[in-house]
Amino acid sequence: MIQVTNLSKSFNELKAVENISFSINKGEVFGLLGPNGAGKSTTINMMSTILSSDNGTILIDGNDIKKSPNICKTLIGVVPQEISLYDDFTAYENLLFWGQLYKIPSKELKERIATILELIGLSDRKNDLIKTYSGGMKRRINIASAILHKPKILFMDEPTVGVDPQSRNRIFEIVENLNKLGMTIVYTTHYMEEVERLCNRIAIIDDGKIVAQGTQSELQKESNVKETIEIMFQTITTNQVKKLKEIFPSVVQNKQSITIVCDANKELSTIISICNSENLQIEDLKLNKVNLETIFLNFTGKQLRD
Amino acid sequence: MILTIFKKDLKLFFADKKGALLTFALPILLISLFAFAFGGVGGNRTAKPVQLLVVDNDFTKDSKEMLLNLEALKGVKTIAEERVTAINLVKKGKYVAVLIVEKGFQDSVALGKDLPLELKYDAAREIEMGMLQSVLMQNLMTSVGKKMMNGKMEASFDANFPGTPKNIKEKALRLMNSDQAGMNTMMGENNMGLQMTSVIKEAIRKGNLGLIQAVAGTAIMMLLFSIAGIGGGLLDEKEAGTLKRLLYSPVKPTDVLFGKMLAALLLSIFQLSIMFVFSWLVFGLPIFKDLSSLILMIIATAFAVSSFGIFLVSIAKSRQQLQGYSTIIIMLMSAIGGSMIPLFVMPEIMQQIAVISVNYWGIQGFYDIFWRSLPLTEILPKMGILVAIGLGMTLISVRLFKKNVLKMI
Repeated sequence: MIQVTNLSKSFNELKAVENISFSINKGEVFGLLGPNGAGKSTTINMMSTILSSDNGTILIDGNDIKKSPNICKTLIGVVPQEISLYDDFTAYENLLFWGQLYKIPSKELKERIATILELIGLSDRKNDLIKTYSGGMKRRINIASAILHKPKILFMDEPTVGVDPQSRNRIFEIVENLNKLGMTIVYTTHYMEEVERLCNRIAIIDDGKIVAQGTQSELQKESNVKETIEIMFQTITTNQVKKLKEIFPSVVQNKQSITIVCDANKELSTIISICNSENLQIEDLKLNKVNLETIFLNFTGKQLRD
Repeated sequence: MILTIFKKDLKLFFADKKGALLTFALPILLISLFAFAFGGVGGNRTAKPVQLLVVDNDFTKDSKEMLLNLEALKGVKTIAEERVTAINLVKKGKYVAVLIVEKGFQDSVALGKDLPLELKYDAAREIEMGMLQSVLMQNLMTSVGKKMMNGKMEASFDANFPGTPKNIKEKALRLMNSDQAGMNTMMGENNMGLQMTSVIKEAIRKGNLGLIQAVAGTAIMMLLFSIAGIGGGLLDEKEAGTLKRLLYSPVKPTDVLFGKMLAALLLSIFQLSIMFVFSWLVFGLPIFKDLSSLILMIIATAFAVSSFGIFLVSIAKSRQQLQGYSTIIIMLMSAIGGSMIPLFVMPEIMQQIAVISVNYWGIQGFYDIFWRSLPLTEILPKMGILVAIGLGMTLISVRLFKKNVLKMI
């Protein structure tokens, strides 16, 4: 559905995006994960036609964005990071205005607005001014404005910034519903839990470069990050550590504690019984699961919120 | 604590360099302009003589001599012209006045009769007229005053004391001539016959010159401010992100600009119309005198002003910057273009500079309609200039909009 090849963009000396390539399949929710300033929005802006690239090509459903920008514009919808709505219009008036830009016939547009308002759960507030809406409600109208023309691809640039947990869940549901309806979604965020929940495939972007891409398990394999168990004892001798190492070669000692790389689900009970048999009194136990945060840290050496 | 806050506020004030510049530069610029216009600053260096059209229908030794003397004066430059053309030029406001020397001038001088002289003038330029009238009377006095006095005395002797010996007449004339003050009083009683008429009689009768100036000048200046504000909406859209969203849709960047401009144009037309209707209702401005010209002039002015507003938006990168630019540019343009000070009270050089402003062409156009009562064909060139200004500004705006506004998205 989207094919990005060797894409680059610089602003004076700053290389915002540097030679990135990736492809997104039809019906996928593709996550662009990276810290602020990584180049996510620049990439989205280029894919959504409002920023021209210095090098590289972007194909949207087979159409070159530079050669056929208007065709591409009808194929995509963009949910910008900012709440880009007219505060002094009602929700209905906003949707009507944004829909009219796509030349949707009046009757059809009105029907679509009704359906979408139902989908986002704001039918009863449609005649209220946007300025009277809560942040979460505005976010939902922000999404609705981008899907009125039934785009094949929806770009969502950090759509949950500044919303409460309840509204965030509502937005997740909307994204999942849209995806079920067959819409391909490109989702940028720096919240790893959103990517974990929503995205089929992920590209990790940092300093304008894609440092890794694939499914979460592919990224985990590629990053070589393993789940670990950290056990703290009252005391542990060198001999006891040696015995444990014979069974779990990955054991690393740190003063009175050890760290073992293992699959906790399968091996935790074995570890505990061995510790008991060795008369090791466990004071504390910590499970370090593998998640995108640790994968990201492994790939970039940075925290996501750096 | 107060000192800390004081220092912080000063620091914030000077951190906004444009704002600080505006605080000091704008008043200095305006003071300079007003001083130049009212205070005669630089007047000795730049003052140009009043250009006076002359029509000599008598074409005698005396008329030629009088006109030559007039030409020799420092403050006046005469230009010979044919009567109808000359009157039209004054009507259009190109010249202050035309002096028409009718046939019989030399005979009237010889007989000491009222001179067949007519000064047709543009009452909109009363300051220049005041100076011209005084210069003209002085010139007449020195050129033909003595001859007229002699003629008058001789005629008086012949009528009242027929047969008076020549030597007595000459003695009496010498006595009269030595009393310059008395002669001036006697000759100046009726301006030596000089007839002064305004080329725009109706306007004088209605006495609405000040009203036209107030309405046209203020309307255009206020329109410029409000259009800059409307145009500023584009920058608000940029800041709110709606401009970016507009560009995601199949809308061309120029469509966004032209859409905004069209809204500004319609609002300008509406605002100007309301102002003229108000002036008619409250002050009796005769807006139905030439309604078609007025409508066209409103449209042309609104087009130029709305294009100018969009131009201001295109050069600014933020609302704050727009406010700074628009205050400086609109105030300056209004000062030199005649919105704040009537143009006819300004020195010649200022009147020449005025043509670079939208205000000038707008105000002059409304003068043509309400004051000079010119037909539409005579006003069309001014409308054309306003449209040309509008088109020029639009072209520049399109380029700058792409460069300044879209680049920052």
